[in-house]
Amino acid sequence: MALLSLDHCTKRFGGLVASRDVSIEIAEGEIVGLIGPNGAGKTTLFNCISGHYHPEEGRVEFAGHDISRTRPDRVCHLGIARTWQVVRVFGRMTTLDNVICGSLKRENRLGPARARAEALLAFTGLHGKEDVLAANLTLADKKRLEITRALATRPRLLLLDEAMSGLTATETAEAVELVRRIHSELRLAICVVEHVMEVVMPLSHRVVVLDYGEKIADGPPEDIVRNEQVIKAYLGDHYAGQA
Amino acid sequence: MTTPAAAPARRRGSALGWAAALTGLTVAIVYPIPIQMSGYTYFQTVGFLVFLYAMLGIGWNFIGGLAGQFDFGPNIFLATGAYTAALLAVHFNWSPWLGFVGAILVSVVICALITFPVTKLRGHYFAIATVAMWMIAQPIGATWELINGSRGLFIPMKPATGLGEALITLQFPGRSKGLVYYYIALGLFIATVVLFRTVERSKLGYYFRAIRDDQEGAEAIGIDSRVYKTAARCLTAAVFATGGVVYCFWAQAVFPDQVLEMNWAILPMICTVLGGLGRLWGPLLGAIILIPIAQVMSATLGAGPLAGRGLDVIVYGIIIMGVAAGRPNGLLSLPWARWFGRTPAPGSGRAAAGAVEDAPARR
Amino acid sequence: MTELLQAVVNGLQMGALYALVAVGLAIIWGLMEMVNFAHGEFMMLGMFGAWWLSSTLGLDPLIAMVPIALVMYGLGVVVYTQLMRRVQRGDVFAQIFATVGLLLFLQNTVVAGFTSDYRFVSDTVLARLSGVNIDLFGIRLGLPLLIAGLIGLALFILLYLLIDRTEIGLSLQATSEDREAAMLVGIHPRRMFAMAWGLGAALVAVAGVILANFFSVYPQVGLQFTVLAYAIVALGGFGSILGTLIAALLVGVVQSVTVVYLAPAFKDAFVFGSYLLIGLARPQGLFGRF
Repeated sequence: MALLSLDHCTKRFGGLVASRDVSIEIAEGEIVGLIGPNGAGKTTLFNCISGHYHPEEGRVEFAGHDISRTRPDRVCHLGIARTWQVVRVFGRMTTLDNVICGSLKRENRLGPARARAEALLAFTGLHGKEDVLAANLTLADKKRLEITRALATRPRLLLLDEAMSGLTATETAEAVELVRRIHSELRLAICVVEHVMEVVMPLSHRVVVLDYGEKIADGPPEDIVRNEQVIKAYLGDHYAGQA
Repeated sequence: MTTPAAAPARRRGSALGWAAALTGLTVAIVYPIPIQMSGYTYFQTVGFLVFLYAMLGIGWNFIGGLAGQFDFGPNIFLATGAYTAALLAVHFNWSPWLGFVGAILVSVVICALITFPVTKLRGHYFAIATVAMWMIAQPIGATWELINGSRGLFIPMKPATGLGEALITLQFPGRSKGLVYYYIALGLFIATVVLFRTVERSKLGYYFRAIRDDQEGAEAIGIDSRVYKTAARCLTAAVFATGGVVYCFWAQAVFPDQVLEMNWAILPMICTVLGGLGRLWGPLLGAIILIPIAQVMSATLGAGPLAGRGLDVIVYGIIIMGVAAGRPNGLLSLPWARWFGRTPAPGSGRAAAGAVEDAPARR
Repeated sequence: MTELLQAVVNGLQMGALYALVAVGLAIIWGLMEMVNFAHGEFMMLGMFGAWWLSSTLGLDPLIAMVPIALVMYGLGVVVYTQLMRRVQRGDVFAQIFATVGLLLFLQNTVVAGFTSDYRFVSDTVLARLSGVNIDLFGIRLGLPLLIAGLIGLALFILLYLLIDRTEIGLSLQATSEDREAAMLVGIHPRRMFAMAWGLGAALVAVAGVILANFFSVYPQVGLQFTVLAYAIVALGGFGSILGTLIAALLVGVVQSVTVVYLAPAFKDAFVFGSYLLIGLARPQGLFGRF
């Protein structure tokens, strides 16, 4: 049985249909890339999974629980953590305190929570920056912090929303390396929304493609790059016939 | 957690901080004694008010400073506290110390019941909801028969026969009353400081600040903002209830329009903002500056040919505007606060202190 | 039934005046998101201005509206540029702090200059019309209040058109949504904020001038209107000028009906109770953008 399954989900905002009849499955320990042109509805789907939006139609199921109408904090409790398209950290707290807020979810007392937070910061490469105010971190470090904080809640599924956007080539390579390490050592399922093909394709076991709110392709990366509809969506009809 | 170079610096700073705290405590304890000898109990009352408002300011800091929610109506809990203790004293002859327990319990329960539903309101809407609660409380207070409505509740005057009994009933004759209530206020203030420090460094403190900084982000890491916003307000309610009990026995009577007065909400907030929002010592600093000024001005400018002309309040207003314009983040955000080695928040080291104080708050 | 309708109609008339009181705050707070505890004090200054011009120069309030509006616009601009602009750097609470100081300052300056005595503007055009009623299907509409309400409504509509249809109004809205983006298209945020404060102060002062026809004038009159204005703007919803009007009319009606059918002492309690009920069902107010 899949860890996460979206079943014919539709999300509307007034007259605008952001997601239409989308069905996706993610298995334990799988890395799934979610790609598509801007406005395709990728972040909307993330918000439907994490509980910030509730789909008008369809079901979202995670580890046997129906989370279609669940509050975000409960969704986290069940084991889903996420990062945000525009990076969000608790700016007026230190790096360490940010992560402690995350680890307090699973360790009720401050001592163990702090220890786990420190360990995680070392794991994600932010060691030495524990006392820096989060607002003063570089963008790359803020994203790293966001991920660390999400990991602190011991998720089974991690949703990364454009974690590489705004990063330089070096920073991107380091971020990819981090995601690989997270996957191999912590054994989570990861869903990555990304625009940068060089990142998504090598990283993912499977790729799902959205366009105008609908799923147009779902399969291993090598198949996706040759898929006519995908090429049409990204590059237009002119290139479609040249697959 | 900190680099080796920073650790000794923090230890040294902390030692300075402890020294300052101890000095302050000694001064506070000794302060009223020479006054008592000279007979000018007025200054004890000023001290009493300073610590009372500072305590309320810390109480407000739970919902306003730590959790970052605009609560403009905490005074309703001052009223619930005062009335609970008064009713217990009048009908059941309970001592005020037990009255504290009852007052806090009742106020916290009421707070939880009425606050939880409105936690779904954000920002300014939540603020108006707290004002709404205050507006609804006013006519209730004025007309409710149980608490004697606007006729007020009077604590029966039963002069105590000895110090022991007096300490239980808190009924003191005129001359020593100021002194005793000063120390009660001081003691409760210290207890509130300890409470704040404890909460600040606990899971509650972390969660409050997370909600303050980014509520949605906090929810995404598993924080139920409804529960924790309510919890923060309940802590505020408990402190205000305590203040209400103190006020009730000091004044020996409770009137609805007095305990629900806007001043009980505004003054603690202003003291806190003046000193520094969310800072432990902010409310005390603000209260030490503002309360005596108000009293002194009303004593000097308020008398004489211009009496009743509000000149003292004009000056008060100018001072407040001046501070707001000059140092909007509160006086504790001035760099000299670092001299006293005050560790601003758990985990944030000295390297961060400057950034905390000088970073402009984003809208 | 007629009695209920009468209460509703009276409430609507008051509501129109409340709308004018609240719209200034709707701009400063609802649109530009700046807290102003001294809102009612601007209104009080308008009322005192009307009284003073009437008692010294014999100017009728309906005429005095114009110079008072201009002076108060200037005061609003000064308050922003000298005080609130500096306070914007800090926490929102600093704005509360500053405007409470302003409240204390304004209120007590008036006390110092004029004492707290109650005063009345007498022999006004509207007062001379008192007692003249229009009978509409058994409902009595007092002419003075009707005219006052219509004036308030007219000014409100003018303001709405200004905000919604003119370039200046759009610039105001743009600044409130995203200050930096507004700067990029050549809008001067500081000028926008100053204008918002000027307009806000002028409008509520004019509301005060109109209200001076019916209410006594004294330095402490402002606070109750400040609180009411906040409830109205929040009820109507942030960013919505139209919402402020609807909410104000609603508040007027609730007050009026409460006074007639329930206890007058509870009239404000019911207004705020309604706010809570509506707020729980619709957290962003009736028409709120945010």
